Amino acid sequence: MKTRLLALAVVVVLAVLVAPAGAFAHASLRDPSPGYRERLAAGPAAVVLRFDQAVTVFPDSIVVLDARGRIFSDQAASGADPRIVLAPVRTLPRGAYTVRWHVLSADGHPVAGVYTFGVQVAAPPPTEAFGASGPTRAEDVVRWAYFLSLSLVVGGLGFALLVLRGMPPVLSRRLYKLIGLGIVATLEVGVLAFIMRAEGALQLPFAKLLYADLTPIASGTRIGSAFTAMTMGFVVVSVLVYLAWLLDRVVFLWPAFLLALGLASGLSLSGHQAADLGSSRATELADWIHLSAALLWVGGLAVLALCVWPLARDLRRDAFLRFSRLATLLIAALLGAGIYLSIVRLPALDDLWTTRYGQVLVLKISLVSFALLWGAFHHFIARRALVERKPSSWTGRLGTTLVGEASIAMGILLVAAILVNSRPPG
Amino acid sequence: MQPEAEFVHWLFATGFLVLGICLLAESIVGPEVWGRNPWRPHLWPGAMFVMGICMWPVMILFTNSTIHMVAHSAWAQVLMLSGGAELALARGKLTSRYWHLTVGLALIVSGAASLVHEQNAWLFSRSAFVHHALGWVMVGGAIFPIARTFRPRSFVLGAGFAATFLVVSVLLYSHRDVADIFGHLSPVAGAPHR
Repeated sequence: MKTRLLALAVVVVLAVLVAPAGAFAHASLRDPSPGYRERLAAGPAAVVLRFDQAVTVFPDSIVVLDARGRIFSDQAASGADPRIVLAPVRTLPRGAYTVRWHVLSADGHPVAGVYTFGVQVAAPPPTEAFGASGPTRAEDVVRWAYFLSLSLVVGGLGFALLVLRGMPPVLSRRLYKLIGLGIVATLEVGVLAFIMRAEGALQLPFAKLLYADLTPIASGTRIGSAFTAMTMGFVVVSVLVYLAWLLDRVVFLWPAFLLALGLASGLSLSGHQAADLGSSRATELADWIHLSAALLWVGGLAVLALCVWPLARDLRRDAFLRFSRLATLLIAALLGAGIYLSIVRLPALDDLWTTRYGQVLVLKISLVSFALLWGAFHHFIARRALVERKPSSWTGRLGTTLVGEASIAMGILLVAAILVNSRPPG
Repeated sequence: MQPEAEFVHWLFATGFLVLGICLLAESIVGPEVWGRNPWRPHLWPGAMFVMGICMWPVMILFTNSTIHMVAHSAWAQVLMLSGGAELALARGKLTSRYWHLTVGLALIVSGAASLVHEQNAWLFSRSAFVHHALGWVMVGGAIFPIARTFRPRSFVLGAGFAATFLVVSVLLYSHRDVADIFGHLSPVAGAPHR
């Protein structure tokens, strides 16, 4: 009897599953008209949204707003096809427009989204739609976390290949852990940063944000493109690092390092850098050099303090001296690119104290100066003692002072994160 | 360009079918016979790791809802973690048996993501039914790899582990959006679609 019941249950479950029907999907917007960021010669008579399945429509399912927040749409209604929602639009003068929409999916989930179009003008990205908010304090912190994660990956790989010239067995385990932690954090924080930016554009409460359509933001914005490229890029980096560890082949670390270094440009392109007044190929290159040098410096310091010093007494001297040479080049690149970018972004000297961007920059310069003094102590006093093999009280405390320099460098990255999320004057 | 969701589900269903068949074969013939060929122990962990890599483009392509994106990201990470750990165990790079627990963790995280992802009751719609079934099969099935960590030679645990993947595969294959033969289970869910 039990066997029969069990067999019956299995047959019922299989019958339910084998029968074809919609499954797994909330309603997805397939074909909006006007399209995402479409530039029109004249305003449309209606906004028409076609979904992949039937949806429930509300009177305010589609709202069309201009740049000042004036509403140009009438009540939304369902089309003859239950998958279509449309809202008549009054005559639209020249300008950029925001479409905010929400419907109830057939599976009971509320689905919402936002996109932009332009009438005789180019449409802004959805992150600059009417009602969208700029980067918040939380986003500054997330970007900082992103910088720190990247510094572990780029700095860790750079230190292994350029300073240690391989993976010494004594350091291999912790170094791989540190780089692996950096890769995982880069991927996680990247997803979080993208969702937070999308939330800023969508302006939805958490429960509705879960079912919000992120496609216009993923495909039509700089942060969306950077998110796509960097996520896929760091998946490749993770595979290369894993293979290097699994097969004991350091050669896999080279493409991982170069790819991670190249991907750092995604951060420049997703910040204000690429869109601000005065931006050019030269400023993009300078921004990438500035960031790459900073990541290598901060990550290298972290590896020196957290791996080499506590684990490899025999390697300390050589590693310190080699990193010291590399750090000199990195600081030169960092300062050169940073000074160039400051001049481009702040054409007037008084911008430094009269604008918020300038004030944050002053704070960053102050911290960099402090870090340079700390680095100068390492370079001119500790390094000389190590070259001459003269142990002193300073060389005995190098582990602690390296942690100190790394901490200041991390503080600089926090200020840099605020700066990248800020808009320069002009 | 976005592929149809069902095609992606079928692709991953095939991946889980490969995992299930490999594990079933291993539990039937025993680890010694299975391991006679040096590449064979790497087969299912390698497939799992590759499935994790393939899940990332799915996350990038399917941005039609935040919850889908987050769920795909979680699945990608746990597939890579558990596949990577099993691959390293097969190669001898990792030696602690506790690394086998990552597969159990992967199943629990994946099942939880599927359950959290579905807010409606079991019989609200076909979608809800499949989500609940997938979620509970994975959460319940996690017991097999976890127990197998401590009893690696048990046929029952090995077969249960394989069956978990085979059932997940059937559930994923059941995603067919192209015909309106069987619609919603509850009238509250609205008219059948597609």
